[in-house]
Amino acid sequence: MIKKLPIYALLLLGCVVAIVPFLVTILASLKTRTELVQGVLSLPEVAQWENYTTAWTQGNFDRFFVNSILVAVGVVVPSVLLSAMSGYAFARFRFRGSKFLFGYMLIGLVIPLQAMVIPLFYLLRELHLLDSLWALILPQIGMSMSFGTLMMRQAYLSIPREIMEASICDGASSWETLWKIMFPLSRPIVGTLGLLFFIWTWNEFLLPLVVNIDPQYHTLPVGILYFQQRWTSDIPVIAAGSTIIFTPLIVMFLIFQQQLVKAITAGAVKG
Amino acid sequence: MHQPSLSSTLDSAVEAKLVSTASRSGRRSREAWEPYLYLLPAFIVFTIFVAVPVAGTVILSLTAWNGISWDTAEFIALENYTTAFRDDAFWSSLGNNLKLLPYFVILPAVLGLIPAVIVHQAKIRGAKIFQAGLFLPYIMPGVLIGVVWKWLLNPVFGPVNDLLERLGLPTRTWLGDFTWALPTVGLIGAWAAYGFCFVVFIAGLQKISTELYEAARLDGANGWQEFRAVSLPGLKREIAVVLSINLIGALRAFDVIRATTEGGPGFETRVLALYMIDVAFNANRAGYGSALAVLLAIVTLILSGIVLKLFGANDD
Repeated sequence: MIKKLPIYALLLLGCVVAIVPFLVTILASLKTRTELVQGVLSLPEVAQWENYTTAWTQGNFDRFFVNSILVAVGVVVPSVLLSAMSGYAFARFRFRGSKFLFGYMLIGLVIPLQAMVIPLFYLLRELHLLDSLWALILPQIGMSMSFGTLMMRQAYLSIPREIMEASICDGASSWETLWKIMFPLSRPIVGTLGLLFFIWTWNEFLLPLVVNIDPQYHTLPVGILYFQQRWTSDIPVIAAGSTIIFTPLIVMFLIFQQQLVKAITAGAVKG
Repeated sequence: MHQPSLSSTLDSAVEAKLVSTASRSGRRSREAWEPYLYLLPAFIVFTIFVAVPVAGTVILSLTAWNGISWDTAEFIALENYTTAFRDDAFWSSLGNNLKLLPYFVILPAVLGLIPAVIVHQAKIRGAKIFQAGLFLPYIMPGVLIGVVWKWLLNPVFGPVNDLLERLGLPTRTWLGDFTWALPTVGLIGAWAAYGFCFVVFIAGLQKISTELYEAARLDGANGWQEFRAVSLPGLKREIAVVLSINLIGALRAFDVIRATTEGGPGFETRVLALYMIDVAFNANRAGYGSALAVLLAIVTLILSGIVLKLFGANDD
């Protein structure tokens, strides 16, 4: 036991180093500016909740937050449903061109957004979608298709095929088999997929930075960037804004921890 | 992905069954259309918003275009690429990308691997409790990480310098320092990823058979030899996974840099993506920007290829 003590200490240190920046940010968000310079770990005398009100109202975080939620829901739900269908096409059917089409749908795994954002901008301009939430939602659904199709196909293939065959023999159409049998049976992967799509969308920065200039359509990551530039030295308010961004992520993480850790490891194939 | 043979037998078995069902009920012609219909919605969004822009990048990279009106676009073949090869800013940005790689890719892998092996060999229980905290930075947006660290490292009122001062250690301007800015950005990247690497390695080590360790011990292996002979080969796949993910994660450097140094001081931390965005949208050179994008994609693919070649997961 004594021999193991230093190893526990090492683990604890690693863990503390990872979370301390977030803890001191939360602390800072509740302090006055004078209290902040007195020491980063000191507790505030009175919790300064108005830092949050300032971020929320004057910093427009209310709008950024709503935009982030709308975009996340607008991307995650359709992405999961479309992947559920495209994955089904490749898992259940053998059809002319299926190999080629599968490879085609996976291109997105190896091409980063940075390599296609310039034409994407002009495409969205031609479609008159710049400065709108659609400019964030539609491309991100597209970008989710590669990983989604791959994951859902694998999910269906891991279901014993007798189950699907039984359903077909019962006279169910392929459509009913998908939504009544295959999709519900894939629930763990569907959940994981939704979670990953949520995190990727919530964190996306380059796309909103490039396509939406009007602050009305900013999401939280771009919002905090301009916010930080405007309130440069008002750290407590910046800290409050940061806390607003990472709290939903931490809550989700704590709820779905095991599943997420597994999923992100599987996310190795995502590009 | 790793079991193509298994999945294709499954495919053909299902297909055989389906074809027989279909022909029995005389629905064969309808069935022939079905897969395409299931694929169609995904195919359409993917084609419009991914495939077209990818092709567009390649096509635009062969033109000179101000990004304003289409009729000003001019086909100039590979001229943008020759321009890039003669452009010092391209080489210095690419150089910065490469200089950041050890910090974003290798350092966090090492920082995760060593403690993971120590914890595993000492048979420590309950490492899982630390998992949540260790993993946390990894799921955070790069911009947020940048914003938080920009404050922590602020030379005047930042807690890091404050702490160093109290310990009697020299302070720095960190992100504003010509020598230190790039390593600082790199260390932020390493900080964001080491916990993730640790968690992956711990999971991998737990899959290695304990008999292998016992055998090594019977042969009189010490800790280091055990590591070399058992742990390291057993982790080959995890190492490939971690390095590949970190490589993709290195693209996040853009987000961190945009929120901290914006490429400065001078151009010390300007990476390719930052230069590319600047060229395309601020200097209105959409064609040249696209050529830079193609080069960025090629570099990323080459590096991923190297990782797979070195640690290829095809032997499991």
